[in-house]
Amino acid sequence: MKVSGYQLFWMISISSIILFSYVPIKLAAEHTFQDAWISIFLGGMIMMAITWIMLQVCNQNKDKTLVEFMKDLLGTFLGKTLVTFYFIHWFIQMSTITRGITEFQNLVLLHEMPMTIILLCMLFLIVYVMFKGGIIAISRCAEVIGPFFIFLYFIQLILSPQEMDLNRILPVFVDSGWGNILKGTLYSFNYMIDPSIILMLFFFAENKRTAARGIFWGTAVAMLWGLLTTLSLLFITGPNITAEMVVPVYSITKLVSILDFIQNIDALYITFWVLGAFIKLSVVLFILSYGLAEWTGYRNWKLIACVTVLVLMAFVIYSTYDIRIGYEFKTMYLIGFLYPMIYIFVPILLWVLGSIKHLRKLSSVK
Amino acid sequence: MRRRIIFTFISFFLLILASGCENFVEPNQLAFVIGTALDHDESGVIEVSHQIVIPSQISGSEGGGSSSGSESFIVLSAKGKDIIEANRKIQRKMSRRLMENHRILIALSEELFEKHDVSQLFDKLNRDPANNLRDITIMIKGGNARDFLMQGHPMDHLSSVAAGKEMKLSRMSKFTSKQLAIDILSDGYRPLIPVFNVEEIQVSSNKKQSIGLLSGFAVMNKDLKVSGILDDVEGSEAAWMAGKRTFQGITIPWKDGKGALSFRFSRLKRQIHSVKGEDPNHIILTVKAQAYLLENTTPLDLYEVENIVEVQKYLNEQVQKELQQTVDKVQELGPDVFGIGEHLHREFPYWWKSQKDEWDDNFKETNVTVKAKIRIRSLGTSGKRFSK
Repeated sequence: MKVSGYQLFWMISISSIILFSYVPIKLAAEHTFQDAWISIFLGGMIMMAITWIMLQVCNQNKDKTLVEFMKDLLGTFLGKTLVTFYFIHWFIQMSTITRGITEFQNLVLLHEMPMTIILLCMLFLIVYVMFKGGIIAISRCAEVIGPFFIFLYFIQLILSPQEMDLNRILPVFVDSGWGNILKGTLYSFNYMIDPSIILMLFFFAENKRTAARGIFWGTAVAMLWGLLTTLSLLFITGPNITAEMVVPVYSITKLVSILDFIQNIDALYITFWVLGAFIKLSVVLFILSYGLAEWTGYRNWKLIACVTVLVLMAFVIYSTYDIRIGYEFKTMYLIGFLYPMIYIFVPILLWVLGSIKHLRKLSSVK
Repeated sequence: MRRRIIFTFISFFLLILASGCENFVEPNQLAFVIGTALDHDESGVIEVSHQIVIPSQISGSEGGGSSSGSESFIVLSAKGKDIIEANRKIQRKMSRRLMENHRILIALSEELFEKHDVSQLFDKLNRDPANNLRDITIMIKGGNARDFLMQGHPMDHLSSVAAGKEMKLSRMSKFTSKQLAIDILSDGYRPLIPVFNVEEIQVSSNKKQSIGLLSGFAVMNKDLKVSGILDDVEGSEAAWMAGKRTFQGITIPWKDGKGALSFRFSRLKRQIHSVKGEDPNHIILTVKAQAYLLENTTPLDLYEVENIVEVQKYLNEQVQKELQQTVDKVQELGPDVFGIGEHLHREFPYWWKSQKDEWDDNFKETNVTVKAKIRIRSLGTSGKRFSK
């Protein structure tokens, strides 16, 4: 199973944009209002730096996946334990997005449809794509959906120029100050883009150099989109309304009105959002089940994917009963422990260990 | 072969699921709400009225050409603690499902503003994805908003369509409920809401009809209570100065009292500056526009360049004088509908932090000078007026 750098670009940019469109803008705007874009920009920069570190780690371990090189570098026990944090993270992410999709479709389109049916349709699709070829099928889908997806998502930001007032982001900085801006960044940056998936995906890349470039550009495109979206949201609705919007990107598509004639283009937006979410979910499901297969030593990752999806379904349905589980974005366990661990601590640790190992090898050769 | 058949069936099943056929509502099962009115009720709750089109009547009378006879809409009302409760009660009276996506007008009565916290009502507009926030919000003076909806209009079937068209004609696209929500939420802006009232006019030799028409603008204070009402000329001047560009034109008598000049304005803009950029208590409000001469009953020959310069100068003086009067009047009323506070917020953010709570009082003391920069773009197609 090999994917090209071009395909990686689409996969990374789609899955990052999906995550971006869903959570972080509201989390940042709550604290910073018209300075939300600064928080988003800072967060994006942090994420770009993390992506860069992770790419270094990947480059040091070209022929292994995350599970294998963690075992190599940290020893079997510690490696396996630390990898489980990534598994948990991916699982939480999947459940958040699955829940997001079903709730959103119930809210705006299918008011009567039982949630389980929407859920089943989506989950069936991602299991199907696993059996049809895993990462190869996913990457081909991403290649086809990607251009339309990115085009639509960028173009919709500039479709309501008559509603925009550039002065709405003023005054810059003074109202919120560093305290609030950093708070906004802290709460939101974990949800902006998701570099952790490349630790697994890089192994499947055909040409490592073009792959690194694809991943970096994919992340950058998603970053740029997030920043522009925040700005255009602020221009269109002003800081106070932005801070209250739960699905901000959807709300601005509803405000699009071209010459009072083309309105309500949200139908297009929802379609592509669901398609993008499909890419995101299947990528994460693939790396999760492949990783689990390596972790357990049970080679049939397709079967593991099925089991994972069943667990996911149970979890999502359960989380609609226990509301607390569903709204965990601001929990301190996640922000204070899990995210710093998987985004900052472990990658840096791996990078340092990898470099030491590399140096040692060099010196022993001499 | 068998596999292919099974596959086809499964795909069709999925197609039906995917297209949401399961809870599809045909257009002929929907009731299109075009206008909504909100009133205060004696018992302390609110009364919601929906103006709903009757599609069959609309197509019928358009073909026949006679608007007499049956009405093309109905107005249904119900009371409730909030909008949704009333909506449910209205729904009970309907054979079709209410659909609010295409609403163009929300009318609120003056009494409602007095006795309720109107900003609460906007929660529903933003929470429910069925609303697009493009609908225009107006206030109905003297009377029920429900009665306004019940008025027909000689030109249009529905009063809300007529009011919507009237607003569009006078370039009032800036008075949407989205804009109102933004104004309500910001610290340095007080809302300006168009006011309609019902007047009886002679429409033909033997027929009088009462129609709703734009009669002015309400100046609202921080708590969304009416501080005062400007008439339509002052109001549209205020809207121009608030950056909501609605002003239509002006007629000025010429200096010696002989004749008058009428202009149409386009490309309305306004800018706010503080003197030297450092004194927040002295504001210069600059309005800009391009003027088109429409009528000239003075003896001036406007083919002469000296005369044009003279007219432009005089026009600016006159506009400046009139707008200054409007500003003084608004300052007397209190609320800052021009958004000067928001400008100061942006220009002097640190100063504003200490001032924003007392802004309503300080605005009255602020020295606001109006400057007009109007350029004459066109004199029409004739030089001097026709005279012997």
